[in-house]
Amino acid sequence: MSGDHEDASISRRVRRLETLLEEKGVVTGGAVDEVLDAFLAGASPANGARVVARAWTDEAYRERLLTDGTAAVRELGFMDGSFQRLRVVENTDATHNVIVCTLCSCYPLALLGPSPGWYKSEAYRSRVVREPRSVLAEFGLRLPTSTDITVWDSSAETRYMVLPRRPEGTESLTEDELAALVTRNALIGTAAV
Amino acid sequence: MTDRFPPGTRVRTFPHDPPHHTRLPRYARGKSGVVVEPEGRAEVADVSAQGRGDAPVEQVYAVRFAARDLWGEGDHHVVLDLWESYLEACEEERDDER
Amino acid sequence: MARINDVGGTQGFGAIDTTDDPEPFHADWEARVVGLFNALRAQGIFNTNEFRDAIEAIPPAAYLSMSYYERWFTAITTLLERKGVLESGELDD
Repeated sequence: MSGDHEDASISRRVRRLETLLEEKGVVTGGAVDEVLDAFLAGASPANGARVVARAWTDEAYRERLLTDGTAAVRELGFMDGSFQRLRVVENTDATHNVIVCTLCSCYPLALLGPSPGWYKSEAYRSRVVREPRSVLAEFGLRLPTSTDITVWDSSAETRYMVLPRRPEGTESLTEDELAALVTRNALIGTAAV
Repeated sequence: MTDRFPPGTRVRTFPHDPPHHTRLPRYARGKSGVVVEPEGRAEVADVSAQGRGDAPVEQVYAVRFAARDLWGEGDHHVVLDLWESYLEACEEERDDER
Repeated sequence: MARINDVGGTQGFGAIDTTDDPEPFHADWEARVVGLFNALRAQGIFNTNEFRDAIEAIPPAAYLSMSYYERWFTAITTLLERKGVLESGELDD
């Protein structure tokens, strides 16, 4: 953000653009409100967390999720226009997955909610494909050198979500309690659960 | 329709540096990787970005690259989603991960 | 030629600010820009690839000095002028 003065200036220009588009009959303010509401409605990392908790507690669902992520999240009612295809990538003892979009900021909004500022930053986008181990350590996630890291750079129409490892000692938890453990960063791959 | 590059095929990305929008990042140009899976067909972004309604529709592939092949070092892998016309079959014999 | 958005592997952007901020917008205008983008795209005024292209075409020095949503706003106005919806300079104070 570039300071209050510039913020006031761009804010004025955005308002002016909205007025002009309304005068020209291109887009009404009401239409902008509507798409904005639709954009934010229901988009939350709680959705991705529910998918993960189901996969942890239902082996058949886990298999469907890994085979056809799009269909499996649709089963739970999570799918909107924000992506054409969802691919879920699973963390195991041997492999860790992390998601990025180096060219812009592609992201499965419906399942993860609006993306964090760092996901859109040049620092994250430039470095995670080059030195993921150091980047993950900056997030406090130190992986053994024996863990193979795969970075998924979303460069077309597929959107990715990580299926984190289920933590040990959670056998007695309910699906809702498990979902509450899953963070946005865990769904991106910059944290474990 | 049969995909041109089945999973496991070793492919090389085009080294071409186009004068327009593309979804092949510069770090992955002219690099060799292995097809993971087809992702489904989509309009080629390079043409669609020019506002043209006649963008060709092609298969998109997930392609897995070894960090060493991208950066000369590193032990991780990077997967990119690449349109078919960004790829050519690699001359090298087919092999899996190194 | 590769453009300023194509940063994978570029050195020098420094440490990542890993703050976990749940707020998607930090000013009302940012939300309005996202709403405008979605409304204009839904009307077929431009497609997502044209929008990305317009962001990437921002000259590098300007691009790096802008916030994320300033780039969006710049791209939207560029496309509206290109498509003849806005006249050049119509938005200036």
